[in-house]
This record gives sequence, C-alpha cells and structure tokens, in this order.
Amino acid sequence: MSGPDLRAVTLVEAVNLALHWEMAHDENVVVLGEDIATNGGVFRATVGLKEAFGYKRVMDTPLAENLIAGTAIGMATQGLRPVAEFQFMGFIYAGMEQIVSHAARMRNRTRGRLHCPLVYRAPFGGGIHAPEHHSESTEALFAHIPGLRVVIPSSPQRAYGLLLAAIRNPDPVLFLEPKRIYRAVTQQVDNNGEALPLDTCFTLREGEDVTLITWGACVLETLQAADRLAAQGITCEVIDVATVSPLDRDTLLCSVAKTGRAVIVHEACRNGGVGAEVAASIAEGAFLDLQAPVVRVTGYDTVMPYYRNEQAYLPQVGDIVEAVEQVIAL
Amino acid sequence: MKHFKLPDLGEGLPEAEIVEWHVKVGDTVSVDQVLVSVETAKAIVEVPSPEAGTIAKLYGEPGDIIHTGEPLVAFEGEGGDRGTVVGELKSGEPSAGGPSADTFIIGAAASSRRARANRATPGVRALAERLGVSLEQIKGSGPGGLITNDDVHRHASHQKQLVDAEPLRGTRRTMAKNMALSHAQVVPVSIFEDADISDWPPGTDITMRLVQAIGVACEVSPALNCWFDGDNLSRRLLREVHVGIAVDTPEGLFVPVLRDITHRSLKDLRQGLENLREAVATRTIPPGEMQGATITLSNFGTLAGQYANPVVTPPQVAIVGAGRIRDKVLPVNGEPAVRRVLPLSLTFDHRAATGGEAARFLGAMVQFLRET
Repeated sequence: MSGPDLRAVTLVEAVNLALHWEMAHDENVVVLGEDIATNGGVFRATVGLKEAFGYKRVMDTPLAENLIAGTAIGMATQGLRPVAEFQFMGFIYAGMEQIVSHAARMRNRTRGRLHCPLVYRAPFGGGIHAPEHHSESTEALFAHIPGLRVVIPSSPQRAYGLLLAAIRNPDPVLFLEPKRIYRAVTQQVDNNGEALPLDTCFTLREGEDVTLITWGACVLETLQAADRLAAQGITCEVIDVATVSPLDRDTLLCSVAKTGRAVIVHEACRNGGVGAEVAASIAEGAFLDLQAPVVRVTGYDTVMPYYRNEQAYLPQVGDIVEAVEQVIAL
Repeated sequence: MKHFKLPDLGEGLPEAEIVEWHVKVGDTVSVDQVLVSVETAKAIVEVPSPEAGTIAKLYGEPGDIIHTGEPLVAFEGEGGDRGTVVGELKSGEPSAGGPSADTFIIGAAASSRRARANRATPGVRALAERLGVSLEQIKGSGPGGLITNDDVHRHASHQKQLVDAEPLRGTRRTMAKNMALSHAQVVPVSIFEDADISDWPPGTDITMRLVQAIGVACEVSPALNCWFDGDNLSRRLLREVHVGIAVDTPEGLFVPVLRDITHRSLKDLRQGLENLREAVATRTIPPGEMQGATITLSNFGTLAGQYANPVVTPPQVAIVGAGRIRDKVLPVNGEPAVRRVLPLSLTFDHRAATGGEAARFLGAMVQFLRET
C-alpha cells in the first residue's frame, strides 16, 4: 500500500469506516441490530456492510432489544466478536438484564472460563429534534456496572480509534455515540486500522487556569467556551474523558494539579451523573491543589424535553463560560 | 439529489398507481406545479411539487404501483439522504482549506504530569509564591514526595545565591551526575612521574605514544585494566585494552572509546582516533562508541597543566593524565641538563588495585616513553 489512506469523514462515517476495517481484518466480527443491514442503520452507521460482508455477518434483527443484547452475548462467549446496535439509547433498557446480569459478569461468574468480547453501540444524547425516548444520556447507569466499559467518542478520529479498540477488547464495551455531533465536524482520519487506547482521557487543549472536563457532544460547546475564554485571557485545559468507566483519574488529577480549578460539563442530568464521580475523585485526590470548588454544568433533573425546549435543557457555551468565570473569581 | 416521496394522499391509503407524468427529467418546475397524476383506490389525484427545482429523476412508469413514503421524483442538488430517519442531524460548516486532522494528547499533558509531581499544602504553596520559588524545581522531602515548608525555604536560599541558575542539560548534565557518582564510590589515590622524552624524533605523535604506553603498562600491571564491582566486591581483569579518550567540547566532556589498542597498528589507531574526534565534533557519535572503556586517558596537557588527579569512572579502576610537555633542568650523569619531560598522573581506585601495582604501571609507562 502506498501512503496513508486519509479520509475526510464525520463521526458517524468514522464509525462506519472502523466497522468496515475490522470486519475486513477479523472474520469473527459480526454486526447485528434493527435495520442495520438492508437499510444501513437509521443514521447510516452500518451502510455498505451487508453489501461488503454478506447477510451472515450483517444481521437485521427483530425489534427486540433483549434479544439483540442476549444474542450478542451468546455469540461472544462462543468466539465471535459481535457489534450489536441499539437503535437509540432510549431503547436499551429492555436489554438491561442481559447487559448487567450476563455480559458484564460473564468472566467473573464463569471464573474466567468464558468471556464476552462484544460491543453494544448506541446513539445517545439530545439536540436533534427527536421525539420521546430518543434523547437520553444515561451513561451513568452503565458506568455504575463493574465489568462493563463505557466509551464515548467525540471526534471522527477518536470514534474510529476507540471503536476499533472496543471491538478488540476482550470484555464488553458499551459504545455510546453522540448523535448530535454525528455529522457536525468533518476531519481527516487515517484509515490504518490503528486503535486508540481505552481507559484513558484525551487532553484536547492545554491550558493553565482551569480544567474543563467533558465527554460526548458537549466537547463541542466546551471547546467553543474555551475559545471565548481565551479571548478574555483565560486559558482552559480541555479534557475529553472518552472512557467514562473505568475513569482515568490520573489524567484528571494531573490537570487539576496544574490549574487548581475544574468545571465538569455533561449533557446528562445532574443527579448521580458521571460528573458527580469526577467531582468526588477530584475532591479526594486533588484537594491540596484546588483553588475553587469543583463546579458542574449539566442538564436538568427532568425528562429530556421535546424539541422546542431541548436547547433550554442542553448546556450552552454561555453556561460554561459563566461557570468558569465563577471559579476563576476565587 | 433530494428526493420527494409519495405523500399520504389521505384516508390512510397505502399505495397509488401512476397514471401519467406531467414532467420529464430536466424540466424546471415551480412550487405546486403538478408533477404526476396517480390513481388511488378512491380517485385520481394530482400530486403537486413541494418545491421549485429541476427534475433529476422520475421513479416509475405509468401503471407502476408506488407506496406512500417511497420516492416519486428526485430533484437536482444536495440533501438527498438526511442521514437519519428521526430528528435532524446538523452538519458543520466546511472549514476553509478543507478538513483538518484531529490533534489531541492521549492522557495528561506533560505540563499537567509535572504539576501533579509537585504536591504541596496550600500553606506551602502560599509560602513558595511569597518567596518567588517555583514548586516545579523542588523535590519534596515530605511523605509521598510532599513539598514541605523547609523544602521551600531551602530552595529559596539556594535561589538567592545562584540568582537565575540555568538547569544543566545533555552532556554537561551527564558529566555532573557521573562525576558525583564516582566521587561517592571510588577511593582515589594519585601518583605522579615525569617521562623523559628528550630523545623523541621531531613530529612524534604524542597521543599515540601515550596510548601505546598504556597498552604496555597494562601488560606489566594487569590489575589496572580491570572492571571493579564495589557493591559485590568483585573484579574482572580484562584481556583487551579499550582506552577511553577524554575529549573536551563546549557542550561538556565526551569520552569516546579507542578499542583493542594492543592489537592494532599505529596508523589504524590514529585513524580510529580521528574518526572518533570527528564524530564527537559533529555530535554524531553513537552512545555505543562511548561505552566499554577499560581505562581512560585524559590528555589535558594539550591545553595547560602539569599534574592532576582526574576522576576514575566506575567500573574502571584507573585513569592516566598527561600534562603539558616542557623543558626541565635535570641531573644527568651528575651534571645539570635541560631535558624535555612529559608529566604523568595516574589516579587509581585503591579498592581495586594496590599502590605497588599502580607504581609498576606508571613505571612501565615512563620506561616505554623514554625509549624512542
């Protein structure tokens, strides 16, 4: 092959690219889900896979999330590497029993005799004018489950590299795709099959004054807030958590040791969110470094509203800027 | 292409049959212009265009059945597949100059890692700030590396003396570390002697003579061509002699190694030395060329100085210093005579060699150098 295979792709196209790569290089990888084969997926994440790899490896399933989750577990324990799609995260709960009681515990319960190398993909988050049940951000529910990794990419390159890592990982990974930014950014991705590490944060921008900790679609607003604050002479370190469970506390603590201030931004509602775990970790591990309380900018503790009000619910650039000004004042 | 799908024609009728197209591919149509007549189970309906545009494609011929939601016509232009069946996905503005690559750091930035290494209580931080001390330069002596008040005070008084000290880098830093290390381990003893070189023919290669003299002396007194392990109190006498040649550079001290000097011709050795010097000067010397010396020669006399007690670098046990050649009045046959002498210093690690072994070594060198 000559030279790098650079593709200008969006996040959802990067997902598609990674699936193509891994299916071409590992015949044990199969994908399944509702409308993913013939239709190519409701967001086109799986488009072209059936044509390239055939219906035996690219399977349309009935409208039954419990079945999707459970079938994937059976496949995984018997040597396949299934990538199962939940059409929306709001529909994942029917598969919860399978995910929590079986996938996440398989290695432990069988004393290592069986393991469960599967990926559950699900678009998540609001902001696309979708109806009820289509805008959830309930990553915290799953971050609470030992044995399950929860990975959230926030750029085409990270979607590509992290999905490859998730598929190759020997244990179950819940791969949550922020659909609000599915097509928001087009970037160059080198289609070289190289995975990015799981269980680590990514430092998107270095700064001195405050650490902005976020993941998923909010990475976009957080970077915009950092731009706006830079104009005021405040430099922000922006960290994409990426793997919300297990949490890479080391990177977060290092950054807070430098800046002394942390603002956590997430779209999910506040109560019991992953932001609470991040804040607690900073309080425990970086107390001596803090110059100000850790502040959260999050969604509200309500059901995600219908689309007329969804912007009122979602953290806005102005909210983040305000929170930073609040902690900088101390 | 943008698709116009057969809309619900009312009363939940799921399908319709195309009766007649009123437009053809390439036609420009306006809003509400009739595109097609279709027949449902109830009536013939004329379907108007939802927008103005140019027809790119017609789906189906008269007589074909199409279902509600299936494409009817395609308009030219963007936006066919909206990429979702639920809601709207926003596409970003294309950036000027095309899409860029994503740049990010995996894990923590180096600056953050450094910061994490400097742990201190708020009180200590305040003190450091008041005294103008940067915590980054302090290694904490408290529990778990915590920086203490004392650490800050100590650093502040240091800083006062040194003003703005620059941190050592590269070779100079390595030198500082190695010298301190050997000073801490070695038990050095130095002896001095002059070699009478009055009878040397003009143009004698001084460095080569010294290297050869070391080779001869190693045969006489092998205990000095040796690697010594002070921790385990063991030594390894070496058959071959690899001489480290100390080379002074603006960046610091380099000691490239001239290998197996007793089995090589003078010309070959000289060429080898030139190559090493050249590699040092151009900073292209590989680290491997500076390892494995069994004894060292410091020919400082090319600059100035007569005698010295140069530092032995473990695991070696000896280093020879050659001073500046000069004329000296010496008694010859009971009469004063002016002789040309090369002052030699030998420092050895007394843990590994006896004074007698060292004296015999130096004696052999002097003896060899006196001969022409």
